[in-house]
Amino acid sequence: MPADIALPRVAAAKSRRGAIGDFVFRNVTFLFALLVLLILGGVIVALIEGALPALRTFGFSFLFTDVWNPVTEKFGALAPIYGTLVTSAIAMLVGIPVAFGVAVFITEICPLWLKRPLATMIELLAAIPSIIYGIWGLFVFAPFVQAYIEPAIINSLGQVPGIGALFAGPPLGIGVLTAGFILAIMVLPFISSIMRDVFETVPAMLKESAYGLGATRTEVVWQVVLPFTRIGVVGGIMLGLGRALGETMAVTFVIGNAHRISASILQPGTTISASLANEFTEAVGDLYLSSLIALGFILFVITFIVLAIAKFMLLELQKRAGS
Amino acid sequence: MGIYRRRRIVNGMVMGLAVAATAFGLLWLVLVLWTLIENGIAAITPALFAQMTPPPGSAGGLLNAIFGSVVMTLIATLIGTPTGILAGTFLAEYSRGSRFGEVVRFINDILLSAPSIIVGLFVYEIVVVPMGHFSAWAGAVALAIIVIPVVVRTTEDMLNLVPNTLREAAAALGAPKWKVIVMVSYRAAIQGMVTGVMLAVARIAGETAPLLFTALNNQFWSTNMNAPMANLPVVIFQFAMSPYADWQVLAWGGALLITVTVLFLNIGARALASWGTFKQ
Amino acid sequence: MSPAAARHVMPLAPPDLPETDAAPASHQKVLIRNVDFFYGAFKALKNITMPLHDKRVTAFIGPSGCGKSTLLRVLNRIYELYPGQRATGEVLVDGENILSPGVDLNLLRARIGMVFQKPTPFPMSIHNNIAFGIRLYEKLSHSELDDRIESALRRAALWDEVKDKLRQSGLGLSGGQQQRLCIARAVAVRPEILLLDEPASALDPISTQRIEELIAELKADYCIAIVTHNMQQAARSSDYTAFMYLGELIEFDETERIFTHPKEKHTEDYITGRFG
Repeated sequence: MPADIALPRVAAAKSRRGAIGDFVFRNVTFLFALLVLLILGGVIVALIEGALPALRTFGFSFLFTDVWNPVTEKFGALAPIYGTLVTSAIAMLVGIPVAFGVAVFITEICPLWLKRPLATMIELLAAIPSIIYGIWGLFVFAPFVQAYIEPAIINSLGQVPGIGALFAGPPLGIGVLTAGFILAIMVLPFISSIMRDVFETVPAMLKESAYGLGATRTEVVWQVVLPFTRIGVVGGIMLGLGRALGETMAVTFVIGNAHRISASILQPGTTISASLANEFTEAVGDLYLSSLIALGFILFVITFIVLAIAKFMLLELQKRAGS
Repeated sequence: MGIYRRRRIVNGMVMGLAVAATAFGLLWLVLVLWTLIENGIAAITPALFAQMTPPPGSAGGLLNAIFGSVVMTLIATLIGTPTGILAGTFLAEYSRGSRFGEVVRFINDILLSAPSIIVGLFVYEIVVVPMGHFSAWAGAVALAIIVIPVVVRTTEDMLNLVPNTLREAAAALGAPKWKVIVMVSYRAAIQGMVTGVMLAVARIAGETAPLLFTALNNQFWSTNMNAPMANLPVVIFQFAMSPYADWQVLAWGGALLITVTVLFLNIGARALASWGTFKQ
Repeated sequence: MSPAAARHVMPLAPPDLPETDAAPASHQKVLIRNVDFFYGAFKALKNITMPLHDKRVTAFIGPSGCGKSTLLRVLNRIYELYPGQRATGEVLVDGENILSPGVDLNLLRARIGMVFQKPTPFPMSIHNNIAFGIRLYEKLSHSELDDRIESALRRAALWDEVKDKLRQSGLGLSGGQQQRLCIARAVAVRPEILLLDEPASALDPISTQRIEELIAELKADYCIAIVTHNMQQAARSSDYTAFMYLGELIEFDETERIFTHPKEKHTEDYITGRFG
């Protein structure tokens, strides 16, 4: 069969249409990619605009003042900021070791047939919506804590001179500690999953050479795997921290919503997101509303910095793994 | 005691702790799901799906809330999915190593993990305030903004998995770039992209914070997108925090509904993702 | 070259290749002239000048990294998909320089078909795999399309194996079948030139043999350029051979002459297996 040589004119026309299609498609996808940037830009602008009245009225002292009086219209962000940081700190203190343990188990100890289902189950912890943790926390966990855990803590750690003040006070169930603990359960699957991914990038040869020298599993993990994946692990932790800082519904249910700073973590408090969730729709008065938006802006800045650091670290790890 | 023996004891302890940590994690999963089923199952009656949210003290259901959640989730998915796919396509196919692409990718990942209450504040400022009132549209937009980064990420990841030789084969036949992407790359990546959409839907199905100051809530049945609309998460919030027993029962029922939907979508997405690998 | 050495490199070819006297008349279809190629700052091809004859098979041979695939990919400008890769010089197809900036790349690639090292069936039905390329530039009725698909599959010696499952996915075929599908896909659009980049290297010996038989048949209608690292294959299947080394064209001649009386010592060393 002879091969045709000249292409009919319809081909040239179709090619021109193809070029137009290329132009359109490329620019449309570009615009939508730009939209992502614009959304973030919009968030920043909208938050600053809404927060401006409050920031102008209170100035920098807004960050350091512990007052929240809608009647006299005096607002200060110290209590919510404190609550946000402390609950997240508790979440990290509990969550990081547990996540690490889970990651080590799944990558080093777990039999092959169990790996997939187990990993899926841990990830389901992350899939459960925040409000479910909230309602469970309020009706199931907090009463349990009130009845058993907090009395035990008060009677033991609460009696120690010095740090006893951290664990003082009547057992209420709800409070900073409970909120921090539930946050820990919520962020541990994120941290654990990143740790797992990062542990799996360690070349088998590296681990095998350590095992070949007679090292125990613990030693291989501590002295080979962790140093190799250090940056990724920190990145994963920062990501978990970012989640904990911004978590709203679970915290709102169990933190007690008290705009004050207590020495004891067994007492109620508030976080930025909990304040917003509880008060925003009821807020009367422009200064009140603006103060709440200012809280939101502060939260945004904190999480942005944490997430940016996390992203940098994970990118760094990717670059190294690639080379 | 000898060095070796001490090392072995340490190793045993650490491994034991790892097992304990895993059991600890699983324990909470089981506990939460168990109490959810225990408390929620009582509320799963035909009335739940037939009646509206009641005032305190009377019997009722969650129909308006279910409807509102379904509608807003659907519209958010319809807005967010094409947006995310097109943006993700740009990142995967047109931005090889460009500065702009790197910045977009970075910003997208930040949006992915940003607190959803901030998204709610943002949409309040740009939709609710100009409109002058809360609305289901605002709620849908807020949920869409949460969907977009998820779909961008999965689309880009899936398209990056499509081997270059496939693209070359299509280009070698004379196909213009957009046809290579739409008719070959998308086809090759479709499974992963659908999985991504399912995961995004699972995520917004349970989101409360973005709806708190956008769609608000509505005691009655409403199909008006321009007005506040009932939705499951905010109803659960209101009912659970209240002192009324029958409201609390409904809250548990709603919570069980959401959790079942979310887990179903999650497991379904995973099943879809691994189906292909078995096929090949 | 001693007769003993000549016997060593004599290809053990089956004697059913068409004789040069009986083959159709040929002219120079493609002339590659002073072509350089750059991957970024790295010069991968240095001043290549050689012809490709119509209705003949030209083989590019040489050790890994010599630039034979790079040269092949210059011919349909597929390298343009990647920023940072560029070619200078001229490639004249029927007298027109296809490297000039004004050339419509998509139309060019519709005239020059390519088959890759690994089979690359599209994730579509067998029917649509082949229809894809045709539909890009021609408007055919259903029956015309079906006829074209059937004749393409026949040419690729695949028709009998797939005629009952045209609607099934192309991914379900074996490796050898997939590669023949790719060949069918390439000839279905009626190109003038066929570029084959190690088409059989990923296949088992039986599939390889069938592909070689295919090339022998297709030669009658197309100008074919084939990259191969398998010297016996080059000796068996091609009419002309180009030996390349580190981006330069060392020797170009009729296959029989290159394998029996190579002019360059380098060529002789490669052919006798002293390196590569």
